[in-house]
Amino acid sequence: MRLALVLALLATPALAGVEEVTQQHLRPGVAAFAEATEALAQAARADCTAEALRPAYDAAWTAWSPIADLRLGPTEPAALTIAYWPDQRGAGAKALRGLLASDAPALRDPAAFAEVSAAARGFPALDRLLGDPELSGYGTNSPTCTLVQTVTADMAAQGAALAEGWQAEAEALASAGEAGNARYLTEDEAFRALYTQILSALEFTADTRLGRPLGEPGRPRPTRAEFWRTGRPLPNALASAEAAVAVAQLLAEIPLPLTEAALDQVRHAAAAIDDPTFQNIEDPTARLKLEILQQRVRALLDIVEAEVGAPRGLQPGFNSRDGD
Amino acid sequence: MATRRGFLASLLACASLPALGWADAGSPAVLACAGDPDGGYSLHGLREDSTAAFRLPLPARGHAGCGHPTEALAVAFARRPGTYALVLDCARGTVRHRLSPPEGRHFNGHGTFLAEGAVLATSEQAVDTSEGFMGLWDATDGFRRLGEVPTGGLGPHDLKRLDSGLVIVANGGIATDPTDRTRLNLATMRPNLAVLDPLNGGAPEVTELTPDLHQLSIRHLSLRDDGTLAFAMQWEGEPETLVPLLGLRDPHGTVTLAEAPEPEARLMQGYAGSIAWSGDGTEVAITSPKGGRVQRFDAGGSFLGHVARPEVCGIAPLGRGFLLSDGLGGLLSVEDGIPAPLGRAELAWDNHLVRL
Repeated sequence: MRLALVLALLATPALAGVEEVTQQHLRPGVAAFAEATEALAQAARADCTAEALRPAYDAAWTAWSPIADLRLGPTEPAALTIAYWPDQRGAGAKALRGLLASDAPALRDPAAFAEVSAAARGFPALDRLLGDPELSGYGTNSPTCTLVQTVTADMAAQGAALAEGWQAEAEALASAGEAGNARYLTEDEAFRALYTQILSALEFTADTRLGRPLGEPGRPRPTRAEFWRTGRPLPNALASAEAAVAVAQLLAEIPLPLTEAALDQVRHAAAAIDDPTFQNIEDPTARLKLEILQQRVRALLDIVEAEVGAPRGLQPGFNSRDGD
Repeated sequence: MATRRGFLASLLACASLPALGWADAGSPAVLACAGDPDGGYSLHGLREDSTAAFRLPLPARGHAGCGHPTEALAVAFARRPGTYALVLDCARGTVRHRLSPPEGRHFNGHGTFLAEGAVLATSEQAVDTSEGFMGLWDATDGFRRLGEVPTGGLGPHDLKRLDSGLVIVANGGIATDPTDRTRLNLATMRPNLAVLDPLNGGAPEVTELTPDLHQLSIRHLSLRDDGTLAFAMQWEGEPETLVPLLGLRDPHGTVTLAEAPEPEARLMQGYAGSIAWSGDGTEVAITSPKGGRVQRFDAGGSFLGHVARPEVCGIAPLGRGFLLSDGLGGLLSVEDGIPAPLGRAELAWDNHLVRL
């Protein structure tokens, strides 16, 4: 009865760790993102040009990255409407070009804009508008300027809604296992929900953030990197690993020396990369460095499973990994 | 732990006893298969208040199958490959029969009783071609094989008996490799809903979706009292494409497809694993264990809202609303979109809850 034993051991620490993640990581995280997107919208109103907006844009990423991969409650849909990626069919670019060529209300009205395809909202829109040389040279009295102001206003509205919507999820996590909590029926379910997000984040970073640009052997795909037009590929991959470990440390409530050492390896591998946009990976040495980073992220994932999950007997899902 | 062979031998010993009704099995309202914490498997009967009516060990992971309309008999299908099914006496806790499909066939995990329980119908596919058949078994004569009817498609999955006596089958359209379940025909698959006449045979009356949705596998069914069929689908096409995962077929055969708005729609991950009408028939809901989500729609196919729950899959009518089960052992009720916990057991509920 390994499971029963494990659940008994979990009883108190589970909720303490969950509480720490909620209070020290997620709550400040969504609040910081609300502030950063509000600042971004204000900056766009003051000066919408691509160059002027980049610092506020990067600051919004810095605020988003720690919570980007923790998809629970309201952050689940928000992850799609704030940072939709990958967009394999270029739906976002298509929608943005359509909007710019039109005089649709969505061009200037954030509420109408909120109805457009998720791929055309949030960071993916700004990556194009601020980072694509064919679009980014716009002036202050242009449709593109108006659209940038609309996109950032929509992001600020989403940031505010997330901060508010997050309260219910935080309360559900804090009251896991209490009578009437239909979200988390036991304390260990809340632990498990956060733990699953850590693993998914690292898996997504290794397989998709880094795996997509690596492409097939002998055929790198640099333009498949995540928001490469605005320099996000390396910062986002590293921030994802940092956030995963930060959450793991709060959640586990025991020292995680192996996890920390594995994160150091990720940092070293990231520091060796010359071009944060991964646009140089046609070069075999650059590609190798990216592959090493991917291996280090995978190693980190394995170690988190061993150091955080295995002692608690956590196993992959019964139904979610077994289709029918 | 007993070996499978020993388990079956000991339980098969006590056949040919007088029939007992569901009241003798503790009056369950639904059947559910589960994985136990010790690695074993079991079939459970749950009462209306979600308490346990009975629990029977299974020799392998089971798929819920179906219950007899009057006798306390449940049919549990071996999950995959579907090389056998067990007819379980839920009142006595014994295996009454072990059904094997004919040579070259597999069971596909679903069945239903016809003719007031006299006949068991099972969804089956040819191992080599995945061509679908509905197997017919005589429940009044030791579950002797009576015959079979072609389902008019590949990879049949769920099936339901209509009031007319006809049977509607979800032909998932997917051809699978006999040994490893690899999907072989995703580029050319053509799922359909087929109406069969189990007694008279003849060509099934087949409904297909539009060609752009040919990779939308129709798999699970729920029938409302008035004959409106709700069907749940799984997208095998390009993952970014948003497609409806719910279909409604009115008693005249008119089909309406339903989907939630973006981004909600994306969170199901193109996968609906189970489906049920609410107890009062005003809502229909689909579940996605991959997305950890339940989506509710009204009877016209308009999106009403979601319930988030990790590993959720099983769903059945309960009260005015729904009963949910999940892979974490949780049971929840949902009424007017509001979930409430009913209990949590140290086991993992399998994909389906079967209403008796």
